[in-house]
Amino acid sequence: MRTPGLALVLFSCFGLVGRAEESSTVSFHHEVRPVLSDACFACHGFDEKTREADLRLDTAEGAYADLGGYAAFVPGNPEKSEAWLRILSDDKDDVMPPPEHHRQLTDREKETLKKWIEQGAEYAEHWSFTSVEKPTPPAEVGTANPIDQFIRKRLANEGLEPAPEADKETLIRRVTLDLTGLPPTPKEVDAFLADKSSDAYETLVDGLLDRVTYGEHMARYWLDLARYADTHGLHLDNERSMWPYRDWVVRAFHENVPFDDFTRWQLAGDLLPEPTRDQQIASGFNRCNVTTSEGGSINEEWIYRYAVDRTTTTIEVWMGLTAGCAVCHDHKFDPLSMKDYYSMYAFFHSAADPAMDGNKIDTPPILKLTSPEEKEKLKQLDAKIAEVDGRIAAKVATLDYQDPAEQTPPPGVRKTETVWFEDAFPQNVKVESTGAALTLVTKEQGPVFSGGAAIKRTSKGTVGQDFFAGGASFDIPKGGTIFVHAYLDPEEPPEAIMIQFHVGGWNRRAIWGDQEKIGFGKPGTVEKVHMGALPKTGEWVCLEVPAAKLNLKPGTKVGGYAFTQFGGTTYWDRLGIRAETNPVTDPNWSWKVWTEQNQGKRNNDLPEGLRQLVRGKRADQWSEAETKRVKDFWLKTFYAGARDLLTPLEAEKAPFVAEKNQIEKDAPITFVMADLPEARESFVMERGQYDNPGEKVARNVPEFLPPLGPKPEGRDYNRLDLANWLVGGENPLTARVTVNRFWQQFMGTGIVKTSEDFGSQGEPPSHPALLDWLAAQFVEDGWDMKKLVKRIVTSQAYRQSSATSPELLAKDPENRLLARGPRFRLDAEVLRDQALYVSGLLVPTIGGKGVKPYQPENIWEPVGFGSSNTRYYKQDTGDALYRRSLYTFMKRTAPPPFMSSFDAPNREQPCHRRGRSNTPMQALQLMNDVQHVEAARNLAERMMKEGGETEVDRIRWAWRVVTARLPEADEEEIVRNALDQHRNRYASDEAAATELTSYGESEPDAEINRVELAAYTLVANLILNLDETVSKN
Amino acid sequence: MDPAIEYHEQLTRRRFFEGAGLKVGGIALAGLLGEKTGAATRPLGTVSTSQVHPPLPGFPHFAPKAKRLIYLHMNGAPSQLDLFDHKPGLQKLFDTELPDSIRNNQRITTMTSGQSRLPVAPSMFPFQQCGKSGMWMSDLVPHMHEIADDIAMIKTVHTDAINHDPACTFVMTGSEVPGKPSLGSWLSYGLGSASNDLPAFVVFTPTFPKESQAQALFTRMWSSGFLPTKYDGVALRGSGDPVLYVKNPPGVNPGDRRTMLDALGRLNEKNFDRFGDPETQTRIAQYEMAFRMQSSVPELTDLGGESKATLDMYGPDVNKPGSYAHSAILARRLAERGTRVIQILHRGWDQHNRLPKLIQGQCRDVDQATAALIKDLKLRGMLEDTLVVFGGEFGRTVYSQGALTKDNYGRDHHPRNFCMWMAGGGIQGGKTYGETDDFSYNVVENPVHLNDLNATILHCMGIEYNHFSYPFQGLEQRLTGVEKRKILTDLLT
Repeated sequence: MRTPGLALVLFSCFGLVGRAEESSTVSFHHEVRPVLSDACFACHGFDEKTREADLRLDTAEGAYADLGGYAAFVPGNPEKSEAWLRILSDDKDDVMPPPEHHRQLTDREKETLKKWIEQGAEYAEHWSFTSVEKPTPPAEVGTANPIDQFIRKRLANEGLEPAPEADKETLIRRVTLDLTGLPPTPKEVDAFLADKSSDAYETLVDGLLDRVTYGEHMARYWLDLARYADTHGLHLDNERSMWPYRDWVVRAFHENVPFDDFTRWQLAGDLLPEPTRDQQIASGFNRCNVTTSEGGSINEEWIYRYAVDRTTTTIEVWMGLTAGCAVCHDHKFDPLSMKDYYSMYAFFHSAADPAMDGNKIDTPPILKLTSPEEKEKLKQLDAKIAEVDGRIAAKVATLDYQDPAEQTPPPGVRKTETVWFEDAFPQNVKVESTGAALTLVTKEQGPVFSGGAAIKRTSKGTVGQDFFAGGASFDIPKGGTIFVHAYLDPEEPPEAIMIQFHVGGWNRRAIWGDQEKIGFGKPGTVEKVHMGALPKTGEWVCLEVPAAKLNLKPGTKVGGYAFTQFGGTTYWDRLGIRAETNPVTDPNWSWKVWTEQNQGKRNNDLPEGLRQLVRGKRADQWSEAETKRVKDFWLKTFYAGARDLLTPLEAEKAPFVAEKNQIEKDAPITFVMADLPEARESFVMERGQYDNPGEKVARNVPEFLPPLGPKPEGRDYNRLDLANWLVGGENPLTARVTVNRFWQQFMGTGIVKTSEDFGSQGEPPSHPALLDWLAAQFVEDGWDMKKLVKRIVTSQAYRQSSATSPELLAKDPENRLLARGPRFRLDAEVLRDQALYVSGLLVPTIGGKGVKPYQPENIWEPVGFGSSNTRYYKQDTGDALYRRSLYTFMKRTAPPPFMSSFDAPNREQPCHRRGRSNTPMQALQLMNDVQHVEAARNLAERMMKEGGETEVDRIRWAWRVVTARLPEADEEEIVRNALDQHRNRYASDEAAATELTSYGESEPDAEINRVELAAYTLVANLILNLDETVSKN
Repeated sequence: MDPAIEYHEQLTRRRFFEGAGLKVGGIALAGLLGEKTGAATRPLGTVSTSQVHPPLPGFPHFAPKAKRLIYLHMNGAPSQLDLFDHKPGLQKLFDTELPDSIRNNQRITTMTSGQSRLPVAPSMFPFQQCGKSGMWMSDLVPHMHEIADDIAMIKTVHTDAINHDPACTFVMTGSEVPGKPSLGSWLSYGLGSASNDLPAFVVFTPTFPKESQAQALFTRMWSSGFLPTKYDGVALRGSGDPVLYVKNPPGVNPGDRRTMLDALGRLNEKNFDRFGDPETQTRIAQYEMAFRMQSSVPELTDLGGESKATLDMYGPDVNKPGSYAHSAILARRLAERGTRVIQILHRGWDQHNRLPKLIQGQCRDVDQATAALIKDLKLRGMLEDTLVVFGGEFGRTVYSQGALTKDNYGRDHHPRNFCMWMAGGGIQGGKTYGETDDFSYNVVENPVHLNDLNATILHCMGIEYNHFSYPFQGLEQRLTGVEKRKILTDLLT
């Protein structure tokens, strides 16, 4: 039951609360269905389980059905319509909706219903589920632009006139802010004012669309939908590396990737044939959801939840439908059944990411973005490593190994040395540092005691350390003595050095030098044993600590160690333990003993493969080849008798391994989407419970929409089929939903105000034909986003003045009719970027890892989990303070206040439209935040340097830099007055002037008088806080 | 937002501007002086004629017993077995296996599901009956013994979630899925606030013992979700600015700010003439409110006027900004000044091991100041219209996680029953509600779902839970979810 005629129907009741159209036909879509949906469908709708009296009113069949001599609606006859009689009933047992129901009908709604029944009670399919037919724009006089033809026709019906075009200064600021998120410079304003050609405005728009700042600004809106952030979002809320996806979104808008590809890449970039790097990065859209690794979690529950998140997000973003309801029951208002929902869910249910994110920065599947040069370098390093490994293997082959346990007579006691640190921390452990990241120096870079590298740590005036705990362990032998080599920088020696050991906790320490300096451990116990003065500087010194002195008994497992110091620079090398041993019983001498001790156990020192073999199969069942593999590994890695032979070779290899690790560590990581090789089975989950599967479902799209197309050969439908279906041109929702969001972005409110809900609970469009025309044109244009944006911002509707009158305000408070231009508060990011830009502080670097600009103390700390790696906010310095807000590190559980105070979402769920609140907290922030005060001071400096010689010139200059226009005489006078007062006050308190002008990291010009600068700073602060400044006008 | 509500809000706002005859400059100073003294002297509960945070039309639904809420959230899940749910019979079952008939195959977390035994760990802390009512409490909370007759203990609260993140989200927003408004946001949305120069909803995240096992908090526990962000909780902070950005930058004094604001107001008035946008007028008012906050917030946090007796009652930490005791006395001061919802989220209650030692530190932090808050409110005649709620996000298991000795054990998460208490506005003191089995493992009488509790809180505040909704994602969203809820009428006055 499609209604191609829909587009021709024009309504005049929306956006204007309380007004009904005078005459003509009542619209089912726009007037009747919303009322029925709200008041009746909960009990008489699509959901069979909650349907009362076996009556459904969401279909004509149900409404006209003979209920035994009567029907709910009898077309043309309200008096015979049982539903109508019930609505009118005085009997509280009969009246509908029942008195306890939350929704009662107003008189006007009753009137509408009655009229509708009289006119034939005609049902029509919900407007947004009907296919888009391109309407012909009404030929309105005075404009050739189709958008304006639709808008003006409607205005004429309402007896309204459009506003005149905004003045050029207002217009250039409006469109520049809207397209780039930054205001125009005075030079750009001048050029626009000077361009008297008829297409001056179009030229301006074209120029703006070309800028990369356009990509940055547009990306912001999409990132709200994609729920992009730099942390996992749940529990520990640790950092995740996802920013290459954010940068791709910037690139996609800048390069104008058509929306159909934009869709395919994000929903299924990984499934495209030989996907490009960008296509794979884009697939990260579906990895932006929040994840957890909370101890105690049940895996199945989270696999389920992630799939639900992805399904719901996709349905919301591309189809504008609120699918959340159908997770637990059939949608009460829209025809989306649970089966429909879970058929969509089946597309996402086989994602390859784990249930527990591991609190890692690189939860798989990921893409490592090494450059071609790095790839080449890695290849070379692998070759070098392989070459040394070859020589090691050759040496091992020459060993004539005799197991001491099998010798007669057995060999005597030997001295042994087990090295715990040489060139690197043990493999697979998580190395942590206090202070800067771990630095290893090679012989070329500094002193190295042995092997290929040593640790270098500088920690001026504070504690610095490198350590690990967990992931590897070392045995304490009988009569052992721990040794470590230290080299203290003679220029800046530390004040104390310490080694620490982890035995179920950090509880064994030996310290040299001033033991007060390092706070850990209770002095006089094994937690802090003072070993004497600092050793000699400028040379390698071997420090020794008998294990007994730290109460490390033989057989104790040491699970971690730390090199710690206070102040200065220390080099550390070769840590280990010396002992005398009986080779007959020592697993590092006897192969037999080692196998006996290790078989059936998990040994993390073994590489993958060998680990499973040793754990899973008894040694006497190993084949000859298996035995050789394990034994060769033992000989080259553990066998103490081979150390002298192999250490030089290992030292040769160490720098290659270190460099390889470094490249891999430095390569940017981004989460990508991938499916499991074998799809999971999907079921309708009863009541939305992860452990309550019902009917089995296959991948499919909702039944009430056009079908998915023929099933591909030899495989199931996949996400790519789904993406193609969304942007195939047949889908009635995708284009409508998308153009509406763009409209909302520029005009302030969507043609459909509920841009996230095109279902029957959403608001119907204010201009349905315009919406369809834009949608159809968008598809015809090959989903060209820039073309669409240009079409909107070049319309007169957008260009008109935003000044309003009390009469117009009363008639159309929300500006749904567009008898005036859009005017509203700037978004969080734009406010901050604008301040940085006009002050000259903005650093325009594009892309990269999230930065940490100024943030008040105690935003992260009071909420952060103890061991979270985003517990402590470490503010950046220098350029990173002045990057565009888009690049600010987004921690979901404690978002930056400059964002959250101004309605930015915390990115836990997709956000289609931000609020535009107006609060005192915002005022405080714009007046007092160091970022804004520093910007004001830098703007003040510019006023004094670039603004001319006189006060008036400078005020005019700044006013224009910020608002694009010159102040009027009385405005100028008010500002001049304020400047005088500030100057007088700071002249009498120069210390205050210095304080104010020293706020923030940037340094004021030493040449400038601080009293003057302080006075101008508050004037700049005033101009930056103007209502005009914080709004697009 | 619902267009009708929006329309009404606009009307209210317009009335405010017209009624107050807002003239920048003139009113600003008057406002500063008048409102400041007004805040301290205005009788409690009266509504100023020009409310900055007006209630929704028709709210409250009926005369409320409680005008404000103080919610003390013990984050991490305190052990009901060691505090309030007295199970003397467990002593002789020390280290015996939790009977299958009790365990009943219910889900347990993967932290203990792999444990070979689930041995019963009786509490090592003595219990006694307190007050006239004889309410059971353990010796961990001696100060709370003194308020037993003021509080109603609910022993059978249960929740849907078994892990912290979802459970915290659930207890504060009525849903495990992030994105819903918090209880405080709902209340300030519906009821507005009586204070014109302080936020309607204030949150504290005090310090906690260093050795404690602290779980994370999430701003979503006080954020406005899909409601407008002006209903977000405002964090009152222990260090730095108590309210974000409330302090002028260095070198700027209130006079400088006044000069700047006078100019700003005049320029913005001119801008209103240019565009006629009512938002401009709102902005003018908000800058003035911001200015008032710059003096009202320091006044709030200045404890100079508190008597020694009062300060002593809250305990030795009361003067330490950021401590629980300091937060508790500020909660009272906020309540006096008309703030609608005050929430203190104290962390560190997640005792999977070393529970006996760690719980003592936690109780030292909160016991005295919590009892003092109740007593202090009572002394001032405010307890009768202030609702106080105390509790965590779930409970803890009767069986020990990890090694068990008489004086050392740990407890895993237990969502099936836990204790919370309520006091003050609309609540009968000295009541104990609900009963659990001998192992404090299952509810045997009067279960209370968290959303029943939330519905009851709304009820005390004069709101019918099922008529308090907001349209979002195609649904009339409610704090209490879609299902019918039980109001705990047995506990109401």
